[in-house]
Amino acid sequence: MHVKAVGEGFIRPDIYEKVQGKAKYPDDIEMEGMLYAGVKRSTIPYGRVLKTNIDEIRQMEGVICVIDYTMIPGAKCHGVILKDIPILVQDIVKRVGDCILLIVAKDKVSLKKALDQVEVEYDVYQGVFTIEDALKEGAPILGDKSNILYDIKVKTGDIEAGFKEADYIAENCYHTQMTDHAFLQTETAVAHYDDEGVLTVHVATQYPHYDREEVARCLNIQEDEVKIINETIGGAFGGREDINPQCHAALATFITKKPVKVVYSREESTISRSKRHPMEMFYKTGVKKDGKLCALKVRIYGDTGAYASWGMNVLRKAAIHATGPYVIPNVDIEAKAVYTNNPYCGAMRGFGAAQVPLAYESQMDILAEKLTMHPLKFRYMNAFDVGSQTATGQKLKSSIGIKKCIEKIADVNQMEL
Amino acid sequence: MIINGKSYTKKIDPLLRLIDFIRDEAKLKGTKEGCGEGECGACTVIIDGRAVNSCLVLAASVNGKEITTIEGVSQGKLHPIQEAFIEVGAVQCGYCTPGMILSTKALLDKNIDATEEEIKESISGNLCRCTGYQIMIEGIKKAQDKLKKR
Repeated sequence: MHVKAVGEGFIRPDIYEKVQGKAKYPDDIEMEGMLYAGVKRSTIPYGRVLKTNIDEIRQMEGVICVIDYTMIPGAKCHGVILKDIPILVQDIVKRVGDCILLIVAKDKVSLKKALDQVEVEYDVYQGVFTIEDALKEGAPILGDKSNILYDIKVKTGDIEAGFKEADYIAENCYHTQMTDHAFLQTETAVAHYDDEGVLTVHVATQYPHYDREEVARCLNIQEDEVKIINETIGGAFGGREDINPQCHAALATFITKKPVKVVYSREESTISRSKRHPMEMFYKTGVKKDGKLCALKVRIYGDTGAYASWGMNVLRKAAIHATGPYVIPNVDIEAKAVYTNNPYCGAMRGFGAAQVPLAYESQMDILAEKLTMHPLKFRYMNAFDVGSQTATGQKLKSSIGIKKCIEKIADVNQMEL
Repeated sequence: MIINGKSYTKKIDPLLRLIDFIRDEAKLKGTKEGCGEGECGACTVIIDGRAVNSCLVLAASVNGKEITTIEGVSQGKLHPIQEAFIEVGAVQCGYCTPGMILSTKALLDKNIDATEEEIKESISGNLCRCTGYQIMIEGIKKAQDKLKKR
């Protein structure tokens, strides 16, 4: 069978329902006798929960039950790699937005009233909010043994010899900011027991199989007793990789035996979700008079926030991509993911490869100016080609399109390379 | 109020938002909530010919008015705007799509010859976080052609 797809314009099968408003997102699900659940989140970035008025909330009209960490039958934490994000905190909160109490109510209005009435008494600790502070001696330790979640080195050639060869050097520091995915459909989950008694969670997720594992761990039941149904996804961009309302909806159904819906407001969505890592990138790049790059020293620090999420993978990717698509024989790169009390950072479009271009491409422009060479020509001279070797030692064998791409740009601009 | 030609008479909480009436009382789930504060336009409906964020309108204040939601756009068969969006592929996650189509309809119902600038302005209150704006503008131009040929 031969199917031609590349270069063909296909009509996507889900488009008919979407243009008619018939596509079913999790919040469009209604069930008989459905309850509403929501989470009271920490309003301080670092401290210990001393007490809450849980007993008072339990007595409120319309409140079905109030769940704290002691009522979780299984694992108290979740996470894509390290299991470090509390489903409900035991005592320590490490960021604004940590989950403290899960309230189940008969309707949305009662739920909102109950959430507004929750009072939490904290012992407030001094948190760390910059990479610099997190790496200072005596800083509070937010990770396992230190504030460094991950540390990777990429080295090739002889960095000192490389810089000795250089006729021009550019040395600069670049910063990128934290970014939120801000997908339009806020996190929502509906949990219920299906006809066969399987705990079912309807959600919009990037990882239904991870979700099933996390829900089963949290409830201390087998994975085949949990079903995750992925409804239409209203944007994700990496922001639906970490668990958000899945365990809470499942836990509420597990305890009440009723269908339960959890819907995030835009504010809760923004506070709770992972972010793109802000990075500090120190770049020193050396070039010879003939325009050939000869040395690159890079130090990258990513603010990974309060929890691990994909922090190690993101900083690994930043390090691997730190040279850009350019051949550099002498390289010394280090990248670190650093814990702070900021929102936790994880996957977002590019996964660490999106921050470093600001640094390496700015360096290219600055060096081209020093060389009085056209920046496009300078890039062309140093660009990867078939047979090039990356800083990580990978020999490139195919699909290296950058030179062709630059040739096309030069052609359009009637420029000699 | 009248939604998509159907009359609804109901005693309601004076603080109930129009979007909640549409989604929870009329059970029309095509109107989406993205922000609840009038920033994203996912909840756009047409009230007496104007595109409006239904999260910023109290249901009680539209007593007697005519409202069109996405379900009222394609009655029986697809509207030319919907056909055009399908043909050019102006849809990704789909969450902004109903609002985008209603903003477009409000514009083209009034001004079928809208310029590209006017098209851009008419959908400037509708966020698409998948950032597919260019192809939507193409779709809207295609819808203009289709509507003119009708």
